[in-house]
Amino acid sequence: MNETAFKNVKSLPSSHLLGTGTPMCAGCGGLEALHEIYDVLGEKSVFVNAAGCMTLLAVYPFTPFRGSWLYTAMASAPAGAQGIRDALDILKQKGEIEEEEDLQVVTLTGDGAAYGMGLSATSGVIERNLDFLYICYDNEGYGNTGQQYSGATPHGAKTATSLGLSGFAGYKKPLFDIWAAHRPAYVATVIGAEPLDLARKIEKAKSLKGPRLIIALSPCPTGWDFDPKESVNIGKLAVKSGVWPLKEYVDGQVVHTKLPTRRLPVVRYLETQGRFRHLFEPERQEGLLKEIQQRVDEYWAAVTC
Amino acid sequence: MFRIRFHGRGGQGMKTASRILGTAFFLEGYEVQDAPRYGAERRGAPIFAFVRADRRPIQERGIIRQADLVVVADDSLVPVPAADVLAGCDANTVLLINSFQSAEVWRQRLNLQGPILTLPAMEDVEDRAELPYVGAACAGAAAGLSGVIGQTSLEQAIAEELGHLGAAVIAANLERASNAFQSLSEQAGLVKPGRTFSAEGWQTPDWIELPFEQADVSAPAIHAGLTSEAIKTGAWRTMRPLVDYARCNRCWWVCSTFCPDGAIRVDEERYPQIDYDHCKGCLICVAQCPPHAISAVAEHLAAEGVES
Amino acid sequence: MKRRLLTGNGAAAWAARLAGVDYVPAFPITPQTEIIESLANWIDRGEMPGRLVTLESEHSMLTAAGAAAATGVRVFSATSSQGLLYAMEMLYTVSGWRAPFVLVNVSRGLSSPITLEPDHNDILAARDSGFLQIHCATCQEVLDSVLLAYRLGEDNRVRLPVLVNMDGFYLSFTREPVEVPEAEAVAAFLPSFQAGEIRFRASAPESQAVAVLGGGPYSYFRYETHLAARIAIQVYDELADVFEQSFGRRHAAVECYRCEDADYLFVMIGSFATKARAAVDSLREAGWSIGLLRPRLFRPFPEAQVRRLLAGRRAVAVIDQNLSFGAGGVLYAELAAALYGEKAAPPVLASFVGGLGGRDIPPEEFYEIARLIRDAAERGETPPPRLLYTEAELRETRKLQAIAKVERAGLGAKS
Repeated sequence: MNETAFKNVKSLPSSHLLGTGTPMCAGCGGLEALHEIYDVLGEKSVFVNAAGCMTLLAVYPFTPFRGSWLYTAMASAPAGAQGIRDALDILKQKGEIEEEEDLQVVTLTGDGAAYGMGLSATSGVIERNLDFLYICYDNEGYGNTGQQYSGATPHGAKTATSLGLSGFAGYKKPLFDIWAAHRPAYVATVIGAEPLDLARKIEKAKSLKGPRLIIALSPCPTGWDFDPKESVNIGKLAVKSGVWPLKEYVDGQVVHTKLPTRRLPVVRYLETQGRFRHLFEPERQEGLLKEIQQRVDEYWAAVTC
Repeated sequence: MFRIRFHGRGGQGMKTASRILGTAFFLEGYEVQDAPRYGAERRGAPIFAFVRADRRPIQERGIIRQADLVVVADDSLVPVPAADVLAGCDANTVLLINSFQSAEVWRQRLNLQGPILTLPAMEDVEDRAELPYVGAACAGAAAGLSGVIGQTSLEQAIAEELGHLGAAVIAANLERASNAFQSLSEQAGLVKPGRTFSAEGWQTPDWIELPFEQADVSAPAIHAGLTSEAIKTGAWRTMRPLVDYARCNRCWWVCSTFCPDGAIRVDEERYPQIDYDHCKGCLICVAQCPPHAISAVAEHLAAEGVES
Repeated sequence: MKRRLLTGNGAAAWAARLAGVDYVPAFPITPQTEIIESLANWIDRGEMPGRLVTLESEHSMLTAAGAAAATGVRVFSATSSQGLLYAMEMLYTVSGWRAPFVLVNVSRGLSSPITLEPDHNDILAARDSGFLQIHCATCQEVLDSVLLAYRLGEDNRVRLPVLVNMDGFYLSFTREPVEVPEAEAVAAFLPSFQAGEIRFRASAPESQAVAVLGGGPYSYFRYETHLAARIAIQVYDELADVFEQSFGRRHAAVECYRCEDADYLFVMIGSFATKARAAVDSLREAGWSIGLLRPRLFRPFPEAQVRRLLAGRRAVAVIDQNLSFGAGGVLYAELAAALYGEKAAPPVLASFVGGLGGRDIPPEEFYEIARLIRDAAERGETPPPRLLYTEAELRETRKLQAIAKVERAGLGAKS
């Protein structure tokens, strides 16, 4: 990555824009990613939110944002971004507002909206080449309702609706690929535990026009069942084990921004979380563990850059 | 109030006819309502449009059941049940049929109480779905028969309704409409404003209490397959494909496979048999037949051939 | 002012054009398409400013409409039937944003079974959404009501979105003479949208549509929306006067046709009410003392006016083009609620359901309804609710059921 203001971790901001006092869980990996993103993005923004944990960021009369916010509904936050972006463009075109009154329009949803109910609205705005940023905080389940499985839940994970011995029978949907197949301006995966990588990606997204979409894997103490203090460690393990590849799509190319030379075994990541405990006890489910590792290996075997 | 219905096929310009007539009435100072009846507005399928015109604001709405004038743009529709051309025709209804056959033939055929006129306004075209200017001609005829629309208003109405199509198209339509208008000059005023409804006496509606019926009966479900075959879409056809069996090379599949409606069956001898009850006349079979063994003939001519 | 023939759809499109709308989020559905096609073509040809965006669903369309309105531009949109229902979550949602815009609904019966023809179950499903509702009986009213709706919704006392309803086919595809006002006259009546604090701007942080915890604040916000809708009755009445001064046409919140001295009244909403007018004329000629009451404003419901206009009548027939399964006609229930406790309430308030899925109501049915309520008034008892449905119609339906291979054994006795 060239021409970045974020040469190293020391260039990351040390005072932060997102306010305190939100009702997000202690140790929330999504909030951590959001506040890192907001630092780079800045306060001249309007967040268009869909139903999910972060709906509760703004509870009357409290908001942690310095800028603006509009809650829409679970399925149509991207369409809300469309309405605001179009309206701001119309007002600028008519000369009713000055350029400095303009806002970056940001859609903020969880994985439930991004991977499922809101996918058609997202597809629509990308197709219409909307100039906006989409941030999905992905905690791999319907977290705000008690962590039922969603289209983002990984294979084998225990959720409130997959309590059996094998956990969730499905596989995490390739949302990055689905978004990238639309050929938008930018798609990236990030994680709060890798703040430098995150900052550079948001910086890049901010510099581009058109649809820019970010998925932030969001370690979730409540839904994944781990001690809140482990949130960053688990995030780092997700990257080091290869479970959460950090990558970006730009100009038709997918590039990995971190190529783990020596990947840690996936069990190192899985064993940190209660949602995978049934894979280890009362009996170790070798078959399932092997399958999960194998899928990660297959992914990386196909990666060239 | 004048109540006028236009019947034709999808593509023959019945909506245009109703709009030209509606605008012409309007230009004569009438209150007007005109509308097409949307539904299966497929090319060749029977459709209709209607016009109401009155000196007073019009409160009536919807389909005209009893018309003072019914104009049929394509005489092949008259016997088609789905077209329902003669619905509500009584002694006060003038029926105008665009036809090369004489009014006398139609009078004998239909045995109606009201007057029947014909208007030979068709161009000599094979495919009736492409009857040019017939909408304008029908509107012109209806305007003439009403006796209250001047030629100037008719011409202005055509210019307004077809303005987007350019001068040449307007001119051609004007000519057909004027011809139709003038050809009926002796009958001007034959169509009279129809009845006003009276509450002095009326036929009591045969209302019933709907009986309760369980869902196995009363849910909107069809409990069998293939029931759509009761719909005779052959009535849409304006061009008929005919197989020259001497030329057919019995390939066994081309026409039958490409027919979207599945209306071509291949028999045991590997000859195609066209189901004319359902063939819509798209002519894909004509276009695709490798030895060019299928040709298209005008449906109205083919139908006459069958009759004679 | 030019009088010309326009369909209801054409009248709606012209109204949007004259209102100088900035933004039209769209999604096609029969029988509404001509509205958005007209606007798209005018915008493409540069005949009107503004931006039209086709979204991928009505749910998204309404979201974009509300979001743009909340950013401070004048928004117009249109839908029908299933589209209105698909957008329903957002109807309820965006009304709470307190950002005004106008949505035209072209009424069409709801699935199942699916149909293209009109009745009012679609628009009445939005009854409690927070959108105000104006119901039109003519194409002229469609044009005028859209203009009125902008003034009404944008009034600072109100600040709510407004639905303008017209019947599919009977208005949407039917041309009638419509006076299209001059642009200057419209601009004088309806100046450009003064959004004020309805905005998203860099200099003015605004959090809109946030969550609340607890019933206290929730009740406050919801009830305030209700009070704004209630104030809209008064605002509407004021605007009807202004509109009449500007354009010479009066659109009262409740139309009262030949009902000043009437003993009997039909009550209807929508375009079929003009059929009732025609029936009133015929019945008057035959010596009947009868009239028509037609609420144009349905939300807020002008029950004080309705109550006053119904008081002292001998009998009233409410004809509902809708059906609340398990209850009956919706308008009937609204009127009954409005009349409760009214000393001079008509002794007979009879319910009729008809015109479902575009089913016609011919003149003789109106006459028969008049006879039924007159007889009921003489007997002093309200007749049971009646569906306008004939034996001939059931016979036709039986023929269809035979094709559908419905077991004859299950058919009711009266077939």
